Amino acid sequence: MGGAPRPGRIALHAALIALSLLMVAPFVWMLLTSLKSHAEVMAYPPTFLPSVWQWVNYPDALEFAPFGTYFRNSLVIAVSHTVINVALAAMAGYALARLPFRGRSMLLMLVLAAMMIPTFTKIVPQYLLAKTMPFFGGNDFLGRGGSGWLDSWWGLIVPGALTPLAIFLFRQFYLTLPRELEEAARLDGLGEFGIFARVMTPLMKPAIATVALITFENSWNNFVWPLIVTRSDELRVIQVGLAAFQQVDETLWEYMMAGTVLATLPMIVLFLFTQRYFVQGFATAGIK
Amino acid sequence: MLAPAVLHLAWWIGIPTVATFVLAFTHYDILAGTMSWAGLDNFVAIFGDPVWWQSIWNTVVYTFFTVPFAMALAVVIAVLLNTKLRARAWYRTAVFMPHITATVAIALVWMWMFEPNIGLFNWVLSWFGVRGPAWTSDPAWAMTSVIMMSVWKGIGLKMVIYLAALQGIPHDLYEAAEIDGAGPVRRFFSITLPLLGPATFFVLVISLIDSFQVFEQFYVLTPEGGPAGSTTVMTYEIYKSAFQRFDMSTASAQSVVLFAFLLVLTIVGRRFTGRDDVA
Repeated sequence: MGGAPRPGRIALHAALIALSLLMVAPFVWMLLTSLKSHAEVMAYPPTFLPSVWQWVNYPDALEFAPFGTYFRNSLVIAVSHTVINVALAAMAGYALARLPFRGRSMLLMLVLAAMMIPTFTKIVPQYLLAKTMPFFGGNDFLGRGGSGWLDSWWGLIVPGALTPLAIFLFRQFYLTLPRELEEAARLDGLGEFGIFARVMTPLMKPAIATVALITFENSWNNFVWPLIVTRSDELRVIQVGLAAFQQVDETLWEYMMAGTVLATLPMIVLFLFTQRYFVQGFATAGIK
Repeated sequence: MLAPAVLHLAWWIGIPTVATFVLAFTHYDILAGTMSWAGLDNFVAIFGDPVWWQSIWNTVVYTFFTVPFAMALAVVIAVLLNTKLRARAWYRTAVFMPHITATVAIALVWMWMFEPNIGLFNWVLSWFGVRGPAWTSDPAWAMTSVIMMSVWKGIGLKMVIYLAALQGIPHDLYEAAEIDGAGPVRRFFSITLPLLGPATFFVLVISLIDSFQVFEQFYVLTPEGGPAGSTTVMTYEIYKSAFQRFDMSTASAQSVVLFAFLLVLTIVGRRFTGRDDVA
């Protein structure tokens, strides 16, 4: 389809530039607003660029609301999810791809089914399971009497730590490795776990990057689960903290935008540097 | 090697999924910890509730506008980007960026842009002498506001899937069509679109599933079900039943209805695009 005539090219570029600007505009507006003074934000008509660049909005916003705590919580949870998910899902994906055992295809079907289960089809019992976790949060051995894993790091981290999507992605990646590698390693006397950990997995760095990034992104951006399992301010993640901030201080737009910059910038930066892994992941999940 | 994963999935996905279907047929009192068989009581109750009907209708309306718009835009952008273009990667990045940023954070940015008096949208509209609506707080515009944001956020992922699929279309097909005198539009409708069938099915199904589960943008942009309940959606009603009223049985019954919708949509989606071989 290449080689369109020149005017067509220019029109195409013009359309794509306009489109890109539309897509990026909210981010730009967020950033610009976060750097204006309150008086300037509330004035009409709005200014495009801040008349004075109020970098002090960021330290002020961090002091006004515990965005720093929220940010740290999100980071702890996203890193934990990423580490746990990569480790467990790689093992499971490897087993599903390369180890012969009875019921393997059945198990794979179950993983695919688990991938399709919508959040809201499992969230109520998940909440009840977390609440009735025995011996935690003042619960007795039957899980009664206390709050279990609610409002705790356990509840924030464990239930979402492993995703069927990651298992499936790893399986797809492990399937692509040649059988000869496995056989050579076996001749060298390596056990199954040794083959997995020392021969196959080191060849999967791009796959690990893909799963790690997708996990980190989903965890960082997650909202519903942290919303329902946390009550206290100290355990809020940044997305929940932002939503709470909006309900209380709805006109402090410059602080709110500073908060949203904190909540979006890590993902944007991460994405800009690691795009190809992201895109590979979505393409693999999408089309086999 | 499988044990940790199997245990985790069984405990946090397997049991909860089954439990939702069980809870839906019981009266479960979370405070007293008592449970009794309810038969179809919960379903009778939710379908006697006009708010639940409203939420179903709103979910359908939201899906009906968001999904086709975003898909059509995504396929057009993907085709435009599937040429040898300078700055192609830059355009792709710009379109994909909304997908990787948090819905809640970005919804707050849109809320600010929708601000009726000093917001960006009404300012831009005023250049053309248009007095913009109150957007998210106007019952007539609240749904439209959420749809606008969701289309913007949803294009990127769909476009990436379409782009991947487009690379699989053999180039000689286009050359042959060009020799036969087919113009770009004809080539798009006669070659590109039909060959994108499997990708379209996949995009359609994930988009519908996503769309029926929409929660964050409604929660942020139009809190408490929106002005005059105009934007309450199924997920919001489930959230309200379960985590504001702590009526877990009603919430489970509502979840079962949502699940039934998703199941039917997946099956119909398969029929509609006539494909069974894509997972």
